[in-house]
Amino acid sequence: MKQVRLENLVPDHIKHFEAYIPSKPDDELKKLYGCSRLIRLNNNENPLGPPKASREIIDRFPPPHASIYPSGDVYHLRYKLADKFGLHPDQFLVGNGANEAISFVIKAFCQEGDNIITADKTFAVYEWVAEFSGFQAWLVPLVNFGFDDEGMLRQIDERTKILFICNPNNPTGSYWSEGRLRDFLDRIAGRQIVVVDEAYCEFVENEDYPDGIKMIHEYPNLVVFRTFSKMYALAGLRIGYLVGDREVVDIIRRTCVVYSVNTVAQAAALAALDDQEHILRTRDMVRRGKEFLSKELELMGLPFVNGQGNFIMIKLPMSDSLAYRKLMAQGMMVRTMTGFRFPNYIRITISKMDAMEAFVESLAKIVPTPTPRRKD
Amino acid sequence: MKEKTKQYVSLNVQADAVFLPLATSFVENAAVGLGLGHAEALSLTLATEEIFSYLCQMALPDQAIEIRCSSGGYYVRADFHFSVKDFNMRAFNLTATVSVDDEASLEEMGLLIASRSVERFQIAEEKGRGVQLTLVKEKKYPASDEETVPPSRPLPEFSIQGPNPEEVKLFTLLVNRHYQGKVIPGFFKFPGKVVDMVNEGEYQAALALGPTGQMGGGIVWHWAGLNTVECFGPYLFKQNPDSNMANDLLEACLGAIARTHAVGLISRYPTEDLPQEHFEPLGSLTIFNQEGSTTSLTSYFRQMQEDPGTSVWSHTELEFFLREEYARLVLPREIRLVKDLGETKSPFSVLSAEFDRSQKIVTLRPIRPGADADKNMANHLKLFTEESLRSVFFEMDLAQPWQTEFTPTLLKNGFTPRLVLPYAGQGDLVIFQLGDKLS
Repeated sequence: MKQVRLENLVPDHIKHFEAYIPSKPDDELKKLYGCSRLIRLNNNENPLGPPKASREIIDRFPPPHASIYPSGDVYHLRYKLADKFGLHPDQFLVGNGANEAISFVIKAFCQEGDNIITADKTFAVYEWVAEFSGFQAWLVPLVNFGFDDEGMLRQIDERTKILFICNPNNPTGSYWSEGRLRDFLDRIAGRQIVVVDEAYCEFVENEDYPDGIKMIHEYPNLVVFRTFSKMYALAGLRIGYLVGDREVVDIIRRTCVVYSVNTVAQAAALAALDDQEHILRTRDMVRRGKEFLSKELELMGLPFVNGQGNFIMIKLPMSDSLAYRKLMAQGMMVRTMTGFRFPNYIRITISKMDAMEAFVESLAKIVPTPTPRRKD
Repeated sequence: MKEKTKQYVSLNVQADAVFLPLATSFVENAAVGLGLGHAEALSLTLATEEIFSYLCQMALPDQAIEIRCSSGGYYVRADFHFSVKDFNMRAFNLTATVSVDDEASLEEMGLLIASRSVERFQIAEEKGRGVQLTLVKEKKYPASDEETVPPSRPLPEFSIQGPNPEEVKLFTLLVNRHYQGKVIPGFFKFPGKVVDMVNEGEYQAALALGPTGQMGGGIVWHWAGLNTVECFGPYLFKQNPDSNMANDLLEACLGAIARTHAVGLISRYPTEDLPQEHFEPLGSLTIFNQEGSTTSLTSYFRQMQEDPGTSVWSHTELEFFLREEYARLVLPREIRLVKDLGETKSPFSVLSAEFDRSQKIVTLRPIRPGADADKNMANHLKLFTEESLRSVFFEMDLAQPWQTEFTPTLLKNGFTPRLVLPYAGQGDLVIFQLGDKLS
């Protein structure tokens, strides 16, 4: 058999890049770690599951429809979103998860020699997609666990095309207020595309938290990402979208893969949008989970970062990868934060109370007991 | 910083003695062109002469050899690449052509002689792609001059920065002033060499600098294998015990490799300043020093990623060690035992020996299993004794079931399993060391 001369075929930026290796399926992990249960607190999934109307769509999906291609441009969902947000349907692009939308935007605006700017300690996919596409990702350090607007502005050069802001930030939960985002956009003055990733926006209740979609008419260089994976619990169906000025979205659409969003995902997402009660129930679960976990972590003497979103980041007195193994051996799956450049931190998805209690019990077994605080 | 694309030149030539002058002349000229001094280029040429002659004796007529010389900044490397199908792999045992009982014939061993002229020598079989024989000759550098080192003082304020060449030199000098030899790798004796290592991108460094450039400490790291990064330091120069500098330096290293394919970070020269909460102790190795004394070095390790678990192969005689280590390190592993069920084996085994002459270390790796493994190993060990190489290691990749067949051979010849390096090869690597009473 002739060998493929890969060395001559593969571009340099791909040679230096490594494929992301996702975790093994639950049954394999349980076997290898020798645990009988597996409580998933690693991916910021919503343990309440999809909204009721989405469940019904999934339950009643007629198997013969699996043989028919989905709507190539996710027609009905875009019209529904347009109606909900008072925009034109062509201002929306739906992707196979918001990750696909990241790729669309970078492909649409970057060419050889261009760069993007984001934070060093944020969702990794902006940096990854840029780098495996052959573009430079400039990383600006967080300040007090939040995106540094001044630092990002300083980093801009003539080849900067896109700035990515995760608002609220995964994994710290910090966010820019509306005033701060407006000031940033004013100073960019349309010279670059500003992407605001609002994957966790439905979890935020603070009044000063900006709704990026409402600002698009004022800032045509603003592109907003949203997902159905987190609050709407449709992560397994992979569906997310971007929204922006019509002219900008028209450019992005040129790089978009059509038919990448399956029929069930489109219908389930459309049904999910009307369920305000689901959002309230989830927020309530997250609020109670955070209150419980915060108290327990304080008692254990463990520092933690509790911002917006359905997660908390905990600082451990040991390597996060060792803690992961020790927790997995007890059936607790958490997210290590070394890959987010927060070594020795783990991120916990807020879940139902029984899962939170089980997590605290497991965590107590692997961290040293703190010295009791003396009462004065 | 990404490693620079290396400069190289290559020659494709038949393994025929008539081309020996061409091969040696090519390597000598390439080495000088790539930056070696004349004396070092001559050493590499001598090694090439031995290797090329040896290959000519072993090869079938018309066998093609590619010789590629490349620069790594502080060294020149000559790779001899050839297809394995026309060679008897047994010939690549260092001990293949002679009896080790015969002192005179020891002198005729081309591979061994070649290994003496260079700092590093290695034979590796690349599955389906042939064999690569590698010679590495380093540039010569002046040793450090500690007289010029400015005094150090605690820095309440500092920032972590990438260094310029002069800062690398100063950092190296300060490490030599403030730390004892056992926690300093050999190359730190030569500041110019460290500059070249960092400039070339093969090594990376981060320094803690005060507001006006005063140096408080630093850390250096490099890729030590396919999936493993090794760090040296953090080294601190007279900093207060409550300073966060060591942690910040380590986090700079972790941040730089966090989104690469690095599976693990290892520290084999741990200082007292190593933030141990980031690491797990793996085990210790013993290094024999020039004067015959020994130094025990504990290896510290941290995984960079969530361990997805895997299966490993083991000989029954290694199973107990593995079970104990995997339980201690909480590593999810399914151990699959390799059993000899009477199947026919190749009569000859093949071992690759990598020499690090500067540290007097030799690392054996299995290339092929065979029925003569005990004898082959014993012959290698005798040869290492002749060469005064006492720090002898063996690396076994547990993703390769055939490698575990060497376990009884190793134990019989006085090796002891010392530590498991998770995912350091295609799977976990077990490091054996010669000598069972080492401390």
